[in-house]
Amino acid sequence: MPKCVLIVDDEEDIRSITKLGLEMATDWTILTACSGQEALEIATMQKPDTILLDMMMPEMDGRATLRCLKAAAATQEIPVIMVTAKAQPANLSSFEDLEVAAVLAKPFRPLKLAQEITAILGWV
Amino acid sequence: MVNSSVAAKAYQADILAIDDTPENLQLLSQLLTERNYKVRSVTKGKTALRAAQAAPPDLILLDVNMPEMNGYEVCQQLKLDERTRDVPVIFISALGETLDKVKAFQVGGVDYVTKPFQVEEVLARIETHLQLRSLQRQLQQQNAQLQSEMRERQLAQEKFTKAFRASPSPITITSIPDCKFIEVNPSFLRLTGFSQEEIVGQRAADLQLGLTETSSAKGLAELSAAGVLHNREVELRTKSGEVRTLLLSVELIDIAGNACALTVANDITERKRLENEFISLVSHELRTPLNALIGSLDLLTTGRLGTLTEKGQHVITIAVNNAERLIRLVNDILDLERMRSGKLTLQKGSCNVTDLLTHARELLQSMADQASVTLLVESIDVRVEVDCDRILQLLTNLLSNAIKFSQPNSQVWLTAQQRDDHLYLQVKDQGRGIPADKLHLIFERFQQIDASDARQKGGTGLGLAICRQIVEQHGGRIWADSSMGQGSTFHVSLPLNPSPPP
Repeated sequence: MPKCVLIVDDEEDIRSITKLGLEMATDWTILTACSGQEALEIATMQKPDTILLDMMMPEMDGRATLRCLKAAAATQEIPVIMVTAKAQPANLSSFEDLEVAAVLAKPFRPLKLAQEITAILGWV
Repeated sequence: MVNSSVAAKAYQADILAIDDTPENLQLLSQLLTERNYKVRSVTKGKTALRAAQAAPPDLILLDVNMPEMNGYEVCQQLKLDERTRDVPVIFISALGETLDKVKAFQVGGVDYVTKPFQVEEVLARIETHLQLRSLQRQLQQQNAQLQSEMRERQLAQEKFTKAFRASPSPITITSIPDCKFIEVNPSFLRLTGFSQEEIVGQRAADLQLGLTETSSAKGLAELSAAGVLHNREVELRTKSGEVRTLLLSVELIDIAGNACALTVANDITERKRLENEFISLVSHELRTPLNALIGSLDLLTTGRLGTLTEKGQHVITIAVNNAERLIRLVNDILDLERMRSGKLTLQKGSCNVTDLLTHARELLQSMADQASVTLLVESIDVRVEVDCDRILQLLTNLLSNAIKFSQPNSQVWLTAQQRDDHLYLQVKDQGRGIPADKLHLIFERFQQIDASDARQKGGTGLGLAICRQIVEQHGGRIWADSSMGQGSTFHVSLPLNPSPPP
């Protein structure tokens, strides 16, 4: 059964590139959401194996989306990987209180991303 | 000598003599001319008035008994006319009754000589009254001058009071060294929310206004030494507890022999807010397209979207390198700006120095391997109270610089020592070195020694400026020494147990 990954980002180009990269590297099913709200709906319906969640989004940002995901029974078990442009070494400590599987810094290499996700979540 | 203006003329003074008896006139005229007076003689009252009005004399000798118009009437006319009012009149008359004399003074005469007269007496009286008149003139002039000066001063004071009160910039005058407010303008009251009564006589500290930069001992010492402070950024707490950011310029002034500080403030709160907003906007808006760009280029390099020629691959590598350089630059600028604006506060914790150094080495090991540079670390087991992430950033910046400028098969040392109550860190390379005349510049922004370095080495020109900010925020010191062709050494000294910020 191929893995299913949900990409959440308000930028269409970033969604496309990330999706394309993961599809080229794996046989995973890639879903995308352009807002926190849409992410919650898709996550509830599709139950992806992981969620790549952008930190900075208008209206409902990554933090708020994460809180909702962790609060709902249907989605609280899904591991979340936070994606941020701010993950310089000095900024990482501000993520320590979040219930995330990992924090990835942008820019990431779309092809390497699959390896990173596999390593973080311990997928074989 | 009567006065200088008269003395400058050929004669001592201009005297108008009026007598209806030509013999008397003749005698007087001769007497006076001999003593170097200019004498105009007339025999009729009417003529006398015309002569006096046409060219007011310095003194008038006036006979009382004359036909048509007697001396008293002439004198009264003289006193009515603006031009001749102040000319002293001495009556000369054969009438010797006290009442005559009284009448003479009543109509405005200054003196009275009885005929027949003693020459010396007449001369003495003339001289006395000329002198009195001259002194009177002097007094009048001085008085007029004083009054005009007073008016000017009042005007000037009014101007400055108005400027002080109407100034849109908040202004204060404080005493030194006790820092009490002596005078503040309405703009300052509006800014702070306090009333005049609440502020005057108080110190900034009493009102918990903040403003430590100018009321602290250090600020005062600086002000006393330089006489002026420019654009000091301080925070002010208003009566309602709101914090505003001000730029202060302070000038040392003297008020009635007491040293005072004249402070002009500029409220930059809004400007700073916009600046910060701009920085975070730029940060997001610049990085998002760059991230998409780097991702796209990365997918192209795999060759799985079509095969590229070798040249095509080369072109994409160039594009990737430059996009990455641009994103590093954006990150560094934002980092530096946040540090400089004080938006990035230190997250201090206790760190083991050896752990820090080991971590830094691990992060740079692959870069060192690629450059065939050996990293040598020598540490001490001591704990230090710092922002570990920031110190790590400092060390990786210094190490990556050292590796960048090292030749293959050379060494880079990272060492830590304890010196008294300071942690002393050193990054030493065997690279090409820094020219002595550039050493003082390297911690400034965009001061790469060689303009081509930015392209070749992929640096942003901000690394050392960031290092300096990090070290200074920790209350430490960073410096470098170098010898050309031998290598450079960067030194950092950090307090082991920093005192809490005041």
